[in-house]
Amino acid sequence: MDLQTLILIFLLLCGIGILLTLGTPIQIRGKVLVWIGCLSSLVLIWMGAKALLAGEAFMYSLWTLPGLTTLTLRIDHLSAVFLIVTGLVLFPASIFAGSDGGRTFNVMMFALYASIVLVLIAGDAVLLLLAWEAMSILCYLFIVCARQKENGYAGSGYLLLTMGETGTVASALSFLLLAVGAGTLDFGGIKASSADFGMGMRWMVFLLSFFGFGVKAGLVPVNFWLPRAYVSAPNAFVPVLAGATLNLGLYGILRVNADLLPAVSAGPGLLAIVVGTLTALVGILYATTDNDLKLMLAHSSIENAGIMTAAFGAGMVFVATHHPVPAAIAFTAGLYHLANHSCYKALLFFGAGAVEAQTGSRDMDKLGGLVKWMPVAAASFLVGTLSIAALPPFNGFVSEWLTLQTMLRSSELSSQTAKIIFAVCGAGLALTAALAVTCFVKVYAMTFLGMRRLNSNQHVAEPNKSTQVSLLILALLCLLLGVLPTYVIPALGAAVNPMAGASAADALVPPFFAASADHAALPPDFAKDFHNLGAQVGEGIAPGRGLVVLHRGGASNPVVFAMSTAYMFVALLVLLFVVWVVIRVWLTSQRKLARQPRWDGGVRRLLPEMTYTATGFSNPVRVIFNAVFRPTTVEDTRETVAEHFRTAIRRDQERIHLVDKIILLPVGAAVMWCARTLATMHHGRFNAYAAYTLLALLVVLVVFLLLLTG
Amino acid sequence: MSQWVINGIRRGIKTSAYPARSETAAGVSPGLPIAGDYPSDKVSALVACCPTKVFSEKANRLAVESRLCVHCYRCIHEITLPVSWEVNYEWATFRDGEHNFGQPFARSIHICVVDAGDCGACLNEVKQLNNPYYNMHRLGFFITPTPRHADVLLVVGPVTDHMKFALQKAYDAMPTPKRVIAVGACALTGGVFAESFVCAKGVADVLPVDVEVPGNPPPPLAILHGLLVVTGRKKPV
Amino acid sequence: MTNHTELKDEIERLWPGLVKCRFEGSICNVSCAPVPLAELCGHLFLEWNYSFAGLVVEEEAEWVLHYLFYGEAADGWVHVRVTAPLEEKTFPSIVRFVHAADWHEREAEDLFGVTFEGHPRLGDFVLHDDAWQESVEPMRRGFDAVAAMRQRTPSSDWRPYRIVQEPGAFVMPVGPKFSGVTESVHFLLETVGEDVIRSTPRLFYKWRGIEKLAEGKPVKDVLLLAERFAATTAFAHGLAFCQAVERICHTRVPARARILRVYLAEIERLRQHAGAIQEICESTALVVATSQAGLIEEDLLRISGELTGHRYVFGQLALGGLQRNLSKEACIRALDQSKAALARLNELEKRLRISSSFLDRLEQVGIVQQNTAMVYGLLGPIARASGIARDLRRSQPYLGYENFQFDVPCEVEGDGYARLRVLFAEARQSVRIMEQCVDQLQEGIVREPFEFRQGAELGWVEAPRGGAFHWVRLDDRGIVNRYRIIPPSFANWHGFHLSVEKFAFQDFPIMLSTFDLSVAENDR
Repeated sequence: MDLQTLILIFLLLCGIGILLTLGTPIQIRGKVLVWIGCLSSLVLIWMGAKALLAGEAFMYSLWTLPGLTTLTLRIDHLSAVFLIVTGLVLFPASIFAGSDGGRTFNVMMFALYASIVLVLIAGDAVLLLLAWEAMSILCYLFIVCARQKENGYAGSGYLLLTMGETGTVASALSFLLLAVGAGTLDFGGIKASSADFGMGMRWMVFLLSFFGFGVKAGLVPVNFWLPRAYVSAPNAFVPVLAGATLNLGLYGILRVNADLLPAVSAGPGLLAIVVGTLTALVGILYATTDNDLKLMLAHSSIENAGIMTAAFGAGMVFVATHHPVPAAIAFTAGLYHLANHSCYKALLFFGAGAVEAQTGSRDMDKLGGLVKWMPVAAASFLVGTLSIAALPPFNGFVSEWLTLQTMLRSSELSSQTAKIIFAVCGAGLALTAALAVTCFVKVYAMTFLGMRRLNSNQHVAEPNKSTQVSLLILALLCLLLGVLPTYVIPALGAAVNPMAGASAADALVPPFFAASADHAALPPDFAKDFHNLGAQVGEGIAPGRGLVVLHRGGASNPVVFAMSTAYMFVALLVLLFVVWVVIRVWLTSQRKLARQPRWDGGVRRLLPEMTYTATGFSNPVRVIFNAVFRPTTVEDTRETVAEHFRTAIRRDQERIHLVDKIILLPVGAAVMWCARTLATMHHGRFNAYAAYTLLALLVVLVVFLLLLTG
Repeated sequence: MSQWVINGIRRGIKTSAYPARSETAAGVSPGLPIAGDYPSDKVSALVACCPTKVFSEKANRLAVESRLCVHCYRCIHEITLPVSWEVNYEWATFRDGEHNFGQPFARSIHICVVDAGDCGACLNEVKQLNNPYYNMHRLGFFITPTPRHADVLLVVGPVTDHMKFALQKAYDAMPTPKRVIAVGACALTGGVFAESFVCAKGVADVLPVDVEVPGNPPPPLAILHGLLVVTGRKKPV
Repeated sequence: MTNHTELKDEIERLWPGLVKCRFEGSICNVSCAPVPLAELCGHLFLEWNYSFAGLVVEEEAEWVLHYLFYGEAADGWVHVRVTAPLEEKTFPSIVRFVHAADWHEREAEDLFGVTFEGHPRLGDFVLHDDAWQESVEPMRRGFDAVAAMRQRTPSSDWRPYRIVQEPGAFVMPVGPKFSGVTESVHFLLETVGEDVIRSTPRLFYKWRGIEKLAEGKPVKDVLLLAERFAATTAFAHGLAFCQAVERICHTRVPARARILRVYLAEIERLRQHAGAIQEICESTALVVATSQAGLIEEDLLRISGELTGHRYVFGQLALGGLQRNLSKEACIRALDQSKAALARLNELEKRLRISSSFLDRLEQVGIVQQNTAMVYGLLGPIARASGIARDLRRSQPYLGYENFQFDVPCEVEGDGYARLRVLFAEARQSVRIMEQCVDQLQEGIVREPFEFRQGAELGWVEAPRGGAFHWVRLDDRGIVNRYRIIPPSFANWHGFHLSVEKFAFQDFPIMLSTFDLSVAENDR
């Protein structure tokens, strides 16, 4: 089945899904939609895999729009990777969403699927922008139509739409500039004439596309819509937001700045690194100090988008300074992180949705001890938190590790400024990683472990089978992506190689298995050393190049960095097994295992209010980074009775997000000021309105005259 | 910082030689009365004067139940024929439990100290075990704040009603094998508080006690002897 | 008021017809109707600068409540008496004016069932609500202990008393078993993570019911209780009890016994202060200083043991004098040894003063302001570190302390370092007094026999931790009818929370050690 047919099938399935949502009775609607959704995601994955394995890009022309361009479909390896990742997220999302029974948003869901895919397979600027608009508007409709119980949902939806449109306008401008420079709106044409662009034009295109697509990606100056929108969005939709549409922003950045118009100076890339690091830091700081599960995960998405942007920026710098191999590593790290983020963020959002559905609360200060009642959900959520905290053998470890290694490759650069920026931002990313561990230890512990803080009459049970299945699928994906990086990297390499100009697979996954000691790709004594270390263990069971990720330097530095999560995983299993054997066979055979209540200092009854809250756990971070948060004291009163008895100490603080303070509020105030000033025009006097009309006519006449003469 | 190091070294080693050799310094022990042969009028005078019934007559001899002694010294000062007094400190005995703690615990144990209503003197004597004179760390005795890591539960005080639950919880939280050592007259018999309605008559009312150390308070050397008895390194009295 | 007559006139002018004053030596007995009670006590405490010693509740044919106030030597004592029939169990609360009476009223409510109108927080004090039902009143005359112990129906929805209302605030429980070798007390620290916003100690886990136990016992046996309920300051409490009984029975204590009593009291003070200093060094984890202070404390314990036969000076006191005579040689020997220990203590202080890491933990930490200390009625070295220079040896001298020359060291900062400095300074003064004792020691007997009389009196002593007050009521056979102990730790525990609020968790154990509190003393 060729790609053309697959695309057709996919779009057909989306259409069938829309019709069935409207047509089927409510009893079977859920099941039917699950099937349709799963089928369409599987078709998507198939499409992506097929395109990845194909040698050259698939192209197909659609209709021609007069005056503009021919709408083309184009699936190259970059699109293919994004298609696969989207499909991997939409599969469990369909299972999860269908379980709610039919609701309005399922119509929009299939439409959204279609628009996301169209963005990814668009071959020219017009189709991409059309699909982008559709996707933007559908996101807005999701938030507004679902009528969440949040008070500000209309506001957050509107903010999403506004920022989305601003971003679209900026990206459209960048495409226009590209078209002006290349003479065509078609991607192939633009790419062919990318060498003709001047520095000024390149910078304009970069800035417009970076911050334009950066809106959807969640980069720092333009991401203040993201936390609000994610919180207001329905629980079944947020994972799609975080796992699919966030990627589209990064896709846009990559498409314009790494594919269509690759960088020739280091400036844009360095800016991308700096913006990425700042985004990551701001995101994780607010994530660590927040107690609302969904809001915290939204901030964490911002953090991860920052990490990806920093990796892509590093890639652009290496490409511009003609270091193809580090560029390949950088782009691989970024794309790997993108895939990983989609998996574990979707998993975490599903988990948070399950928790909210069961307990009715998202406030971590009020949750706790849920592992007793929701073991499966808790176990999958644990996998998600371990992944996002970048702990081996899960997937977050691989991409975070590769990103930090990329930042260390700055030693190969010649410019001092670039080296300094790399070093500082590398340190910033390391700080982010450390804060992420704190943040997610808090999340898991406060939500699932410890004492139960909910009311005792709140009935909490394991979520239904569909939710469990979607959680487990994603957990398994997280593990697989972590344990098998040596298969993922060559797959990503197909997309990375044209952008970087070097083979990612060759840079990171030397062929230990495929080669015997005298393979041409590896120098013989190098291969022999590693075979002595046992690098070829697994040959025969695992196909491909080997299970070790290793980057070789020259003769003076044969191993720059290396790791193998697969072997780590095996070692971990063996260790756990040995410990289990020791405990079962040796220790407990001689002694009984007694279970006693926790030691709490001998209090008569340990109450939930005597245990650490989420606020308390993250208080040190709040205190240390006070200069960033700058909270304002809302209340600090003391109540005293009978002159000396303190009966109440009331304290409350309010904090406004840093980006809000710097960008949203001033801009908002400026807009309101303009609106108010202009509103003075509307005073109701008829004569003035007539004067306005006359004035407008005069202006038009003047302009027309100028145009005629000039 | 160096001033502390120099000062500490200049002070020298003050640690007692106990248990290798007996400690002969003055003021290390309040002592206990000695049983023995006394004339019968002295015996009855002694039996009458003791407020906690330490003395009794057994087979025409004076018997001394040292667990009950609260060191009021009436038997020395309020009486015409004072009782004989020993200024020793090896007083610990087994109650009636298992005697063998086992080889793993012979050289080092961790002790959890629970104050079940003590007056402050026994606890202060336990605190002195860590001062350079006694330095119980050299004998392998360590204090741990949590019963989860403890091998021996050292209880002082007559187990007030409010502390009963906490004491029981601490005992339950200890992993087996474990031993309980009751230190002080209050912990053994309730001491002067035995008749109070909120005090138990000693730790044995609440927990199974293995080693008892009498005295009010027993001096640090007596507590050390008790710990050595519990680990099997010294014989009980 | 410098004159008791002036005081009488002023009181009778302000509340005519409702109060009646009567003088007995240095005590002004004021019988007060319930109505002006709070105002009268407020005037005494706030305007006439009397200190509040405590509240004694007695159940006779009617309720008799004694509010005890004392001033400087010339001001003497003022005992305010309020009575009410037994069926009426409500009295006005004086806490609005005399905050130091807060815990006294709470204890009376728990143990006697007497309510104080206007007290915002009665209950769950001595008898924990999650261990006893409300109807238990153990100090009543007709209390059936067996029945009460058999039927226990405590409340099952006890919750910690919380003041802080902040999102994310929680209560951190510490104890009753915590740390390494500590007394059993339960702290509830309200916090939002790093700082202690409010600390509420839950005491009386070590409540042994001494006051109940003493009723009906002969005075000799109650002396055993007085010495042994808070044994780290055994001699001081025993002394207060003896003084109360001797005051009732008009006993004349021989001169030699008086001076030896002063000597023993001061040697106990020296030893207890060395112990407190050792605790402070241990809490800051300055190991060498801890060891050196430990050596000094053990030396002093051995000196006490060699001199008296018992390391904590048990069994020296007798009613009417001392149980045994101490020879002058023994006293001189003990004095020389104490001076050597003091020299090492002074050296330790010199070295601590220049250890910046040590001082960092104590300076500006745990500050108790002077006016707050006054309002809470804090006693002892910690009050003197906050600028309240009141010492019972000076203001209400007993045992002939007026014949001794000594200073009452006082600091004003009220932080941990100030308290430490006061401890060192008082240790020096103790040795100074001991020297004078040895010089003033005369030959003679140490005990005089006496007859029991009926009556009730207060005995007081400046114990190492502050002023201790023992109220004893005897009948003519020498049986104790009512025994009320007001230890210094009772007032100081009340004010402890002032020093830890707004400081981090890490400062908490250090502040606890600088306050030199005794749970056994407070809980009785």
